[in-house]
Amino acid sequence: MRSVEIAVIGAGPAGLAATAEAVACGAKVTLIDDNRQPGGQYFRQISGEFRREAMTVFDKDQKRAEALLRIASHPAVDYMPETTVWALGADRILAYSGPRGSGRLSAGCLILCTGAHDRPVPFPGWTLPGVVTAGGLQNLVKEQRMLPGRRAVVAGNGPLLLVTAASLLRGGAHVAEVVEAAPIHRRLLPLLPALAASPNILRLALSYRALLMRHGVAMRSGETVIEALGEESLRAVRVAPIGEDGRIARDRARTIEADTLITGFGLRASAELYQILGCRLVYRAQRGGWLPQRNADLETSSADILAAGDGAAIGGVEFALLEGALAGLAAARRVGRTSGSEAREASLRRRLARMERFRLGLEALFHPPADYLQLITPDTLICRCEEVTAAALSPVSLGPAGSAFALKAATRIGMGRCQVRFCQATFASLIAARDGCPIEEVRLPRLRQPARLVRIGELLSEEIPDAVLPVDPHLPRGERIG
Amino acid sequence: MASGSLTSPSGTEIAVIGAGVTGLSAALFLARDGAEVTVIERAEPWSEASGANAGTLSLQVKIIPVLALARYALDLWESLRGMGIETGFARPGGLRVATSDAQLSELRRYAERQANAGVKTEWLEGSALREFAPWLGAPVLAASFCPEDGFTSPLLTGASLAEAVRRAGARILTGSPVTSIEPRGEGYRVVLPAGELLCRKLVLAAGPWTAELGRMLGAKLPLYVDVNMLSVTEPAPPLIDRVVTHIGGVLSLKQHRNGTILIGGGWQGRGGFSPPRKEIDHERLLQNLKEAASVVPALRQLRLVRSWAGFEAVTADALPFLGRLAGHSHAYVSAGARGGFHLGLAQGRLLAQLIREGRTELPIEAFDPARLEGAGHRAAAP
Repeated sequence: MRSVEIAVIGAGPAGLAATAEAVACGAKVTLIDDNRQPGGQYFRQISGEFRREAMTVFDKDQKRAEALLRIASHPAVDYMPETTVWALGADRILAYSGPRGSGRLSAGCLILCTGAHDRPVPFPGWTLPGVVTAGGLQNLVKEQRMLPGRRAVVAGNGPLLLVTAASLLRGGAHVAEVVEAAPIHRRLLPLLPALAASPNILRLALSYRALLMRHGVAMRSGETVIEALGEESLRAVRVAPIGEDGRIARDRARTIEADTLITGFGLRASAELYQILGCRLVYRAQRGGWLPQRNADLETSSADILAAGDGAAIGGVEFALLEGALAGLAAARRVGRTSGSEAREASLRRRLARMERFRLGLEALFHPPADYLQLITPDTLICRCEEVTAAALSPVSLGPAGSAFALKAATRIGMGRCQVRFCQATFASLIAARDGCPIEEVRLPRLRQPARLVRIGELLSEEIPDAVLPVDPHLPRGERIG
Repeated sequence: MASGSLTSPSGTEIAVIGAGVTGLSAALFLARDGAEVTVIERAEPWSEASGANAGTLSLQVKIIPVLALARYALDLWESLRGMGIETGFARPGGLRVATSDAQLSELRRYAERQANAGVKTEWLEGSALREFAPWLGAPVLAASFCPEDGFTSPLLTGASLAEAVRRAGARILTGSPVTSIEPRGEGYRVVLPAGELLCRKLVLAAGPWTAELGRMLGAKLPLYVDVNMLSVTEPAPPLIDRVVTHIGGVLSLKQHRNGTILIGGGWQGRGGFSPPRKEIDHERLLQNLKEAASVVPALRQLRLVRSWAGFEAVTADALPFLGRLAGHSHAYVSAGARGGFHLGLAQGRLLAQLIREGRTELPIEAFDPARLEGAGHRAAAP
């Protein structure tokens, strides 16, 4: 098995920043990413087949993106694109696989920058064609310069709604309405000082807001999507106000005609590798659910495994860049590369503290005003992989208190292709509701490898030693007891 | 009653320790027969071997001494649906393959011995084999086909069986590891964290934990704990229409109704029983997948969704411990068979008969729990 000094998993903002920082300290980095090109979600590049001469790669942040992406081709970096890390075990041994090859390597220090994805919130019609998540839309726009429809409603909860609406408008779509669940208009004023901790982001948000106003897009807050209507594909969107008590007033619902619904209810960290390894997790409702517990060095409960960016913190790109850099420094120090990084570290920590103030302000602004489980009706699909509707979950099938097994057997939740990415929050919420305990006390069922689906043929490209077969397969091979 | 705490002391007629396939089967047939039954489960029902095995119900892979039991069990599995217990049972027949000349001869010998014991198989090779199962890979030289072979879904079975046990009137105490057991009058006193339970009769059916329970009653029940790995693919279009096993004993394959393909074969993971730990062994997992893909090449195109490992407690001679515990007139044991998921359902039923009627439908003398008491430590095979 190959040993490497530092392995970074994920070539998004945090992973690239970590790599750059560690390399600057003189370390050698193996950078593994499952996309074809580096950049992650934020710096997602337009893919080759959609690129034209005249087109710049990025709408914005061109300079910063180019500087960051350059690190992937640095001589001290072994960049492995299209490669999935599918298992992670003791002693920082990871298994990777992909069309370019499969194998295992052992890292002196590991930085996990696994990123995040849209937090899935099931509601009637959420799987209808024409309903797209905010992240999915950003990918379409960034990688393929495509729009899913002509007349869109953007609904959900969180700052990404504004970004998404701006992307749609710039792409030429008509945005019928932006529907934000949190009553941000009411909350905004007292939070302005905190938000001013990052004037750049604030300025950007205001420019998006101005863009919306120029296009005459209505922005409603304190309302939520309750249903996507349509037979073959989306025809209209039902929205309803949320009361002070967090209840959705279905009797005051209204209908908006649209062929596209972009939903964004915030992000959820891709925490699969932490769960497979058994790292301690903490539940943060504000930050999409379960995150790895970390110390000041961004180290998880597993020694020399650091975690940075949205996959560990849900803080957005600026936060991820700073955390990534900090993790890169910490990792370099751990493998004995310490060329005068104290001043750099102090500066990063100061900026991170400022970003933290901004983040807390933003989280207070967008604090979810309702429990989205209310959106589930009996017909609502709660497990996309196994096509299980809420109606299948009778009290009996939910099983006795404390049992995750009965629920799994009844619903097959968590057993499908998504590796709980779509269903974990719903699953945990259902257990919490059944057992009458807060969601943070729910013991998550153990996640099994692979962290992401891997093709068996690709796994077998690894050199596999000849097996020692049992002489008599009926006889036991294990430890004797009794 | 689903689960619950005990107001100490609490009494029951029959206490069954272990809510896996054997324990729940015993509880089901005892309760349906009118007995008052309490199942004591250290964690959750079905949370160990019964929930983590391949669900293969193959007659032709069994060793001769358990053939009658295995056939009885297969019929019992089939009859559960009629009792309103859905297990995902299917009986498409099984192909047992050979991939080398030596294995081919061994498979032929095995099939002959099986035929003498009453299990008929069809011999397939060459074009007949390709026609019968065009999805088999070139390395497969021959196969024996047993139309009686089937499979079930362990995940579905657990929930259905536990529910049926409760419906039959038995109660299941979950999260209740047994601290100690002692004879008390005509019965036993079972000490649990939540209190104690007095019972007239006691059934030990706790897989690998059975050894320790036996020790509490002064009986030696030596077991070996295998750590078997399993993997499942994403749903695929219909591909494998039989249960596939291997004469080398290193492979089992089946496709469930939802399209997923389960890959097993008893490849050993890492870990052990004391302390309980079961992890995937990377190299052996890949060896398992390689073997599977050589027998069914289309597997290479499928993606792996999940791999896991589960315990299987097996006796030194691979036969179950089934019957009365030596030196006890009211304590019974059922554990330790190779293929214990398949056989466990029948073992539970036979034990219920033994307890209620004093005799069993099938002879169980060969499975006497005391038979290996004198046996010294056998070195585990590689």
